[in-house]
Amino acid sequence: MNRSALKYTWLTYRREQLWFPIAFLALFVFISVFMRHPAIRFNLARAYLGFMVPLLGGIAAAYAVLDDPAIELRFATPLSAAETLGTRLGLILGVQTLSALGFEVVVYALRVDLSPLGGLLGLQLVWFTPTLALIAVATFGSLAGAQSAVGAFLAGALWLVQLTMKSWFELNGKYVFLFMGVFGSAGNDLLMNRVVLLVVSVALLLGAWALLHRQERFL
Amino acid sequence: MIEVNGICKTYGRGRKASRALDGVDMRIGPGMFGLLGPNGAGKTTLIRILAGIVHPSAGTLHVAEQNLATEAGRRAAKSVLGYLPQELGMYLELTAEQFVDYMAILKGMDDRHQRAQRVAEVLKMVALEDSAERKIKGFSGGMKRRVGIAQALVNDPKVLIVDEPTAGLDPEERIRFRNLLVRLAGDRTVILSTHIVEDIGQTCRDIAVLSQGRLVFRGTPAELTEAAEGHVWSVTTTEMVEPRDGLTIVSMLHLSDSIQYRFVGRSIEGHPNAQAARPSLEDGYVWLMQSAKARKN
Repeated sequence: MNRSALKYTWLTYRREQLWFPIAFLALFVFISVFMRHPAIRFNLARAYLGFMVPLLGGIAAAYAVLDDPAIELRFATPLSAAETLGTRLGLILGVQTLSALGFEVVVYALRVDLSPLGGLLGLQLVWFTPTLALIAVATFGSLAGAQSAVGAFLAGALWLVQLTMKSWFELNGKYVFLFMGVFGSAGNDLLMNRVVLLVVSVALLLGAWALLHRQERFL
Repeated sequence: MIEVNGICKTYGRGRKASRALDGVDMRIGPGMFGLLGPNGAGKTTLIRILAGIVHPSAGTLHVAEQNLATEAGRRAAKSVLGYLPQELGMYLELTAEQFVDYMAILKGMDDRHQRAQRVAEVLKMVALEDSAERKIKGFSGGMKRRVGIAQALVNDPKVLIVDEPTAGLDPEERIRFRNLLVRLAGDRTVILSTHIVEDIGQTCRDIAVLSQGRLVFRGTPAELTEAAEGHVWSVTTTEMVEPRDGLTIVSMLHLSDSIQYRFVGRSIEGHPNAQAARPSLEDGYVWLMQSAKARKN
């Protein structure tokens, strides 16, 4: 993508998809600064990286493609389904990545020890894997239902169900448990969990790509 | 330049299925082409099929020598196509210049200098060069339509498709818009879809009329007008006339002491003082719709 295209993708991006992540980042930074107990700071960091970043990414992704005022004009251009998905979702993933990395910098400055979540790469996978999964679920859901709200609901519901049924998923559905890395699991199970989530995410994104070829469903 | 063979389009399945197009065939060459029909006739569906956005349920379609049945063909056709949809959604926070520039990028115009030059050219063509740096959200309906035309023209399309472009425009804007389309039709195919008969009569040499998904007329505006010959009457009376089956009141003019009616229909029985009138294009259209309805019943 050239620089001009990136500029316009940014300018035509829904503003709330930018302000929401910034607002939540600011809120968690603010609370972390004022909560001086290391355990509370660690839990805040875990909650933000492991739960908030994926949820915000998923909700934003649900609205990324279909909430485009010029969608019919876009469909009349030679832009491929893959390019449309790539530009719209790439930006969301970019915003979530910057939010997560920015927050990590802040918590390191506050001397919060994040090593229980893994090493440098492991820490990034704690938020990246569920974020990618929820982005994929939300995108596929909104395109399958031909409504952004369907994708947002699916992502939100999945997030909530997995969080509230944490124990059940740890026992019975560990490979599709979005937050396995957040709760400090390690070893082969965690590796397998990440591989499964990655494969499912890719499959859902391929499904979204196939659905986006049926442009008439979205007009 | 455009070949449509046996195009059908059905939305939904089973009992809920509704047929929007039913075996439409046509060839469209360079110049202004008018697509006329009442609301729900299938015009927008046909336009979207021609624009490569909607896939036909059956039939074949070639636009600018590209077969739209394949993904590669659709992409190639879209790169030489300009499209202005009926419901024109825009990025209101962008300026006219930015919006047209963005659409040019989406259409694959990568060279920045070439693009800037072309954007300036098309904004001048639609007389928006002085408003190029203003945000679209402050534009009137007519100005937005002109931005829409500018984006449609930015890739110098071989085929320009405009769907109900004059809806909601004031008379002056409508005339300006029609004239602009005629100017653009000089060296390309311009397909104008509308239900406003006057717009077609003023601009197109070649027209097609759709009714309930079927092509019910293909020819020139003069031929459509001639089709109503012998089926148009004028009646001046002091009494109010109730419309009856097979006779359409196309106009009603209150004079100082009477009312002048204009009728289109098969016969004018019951109005002994009726005088045969010279048909207009609108009369021809009304007569055609009546005939199509009668054939269906």
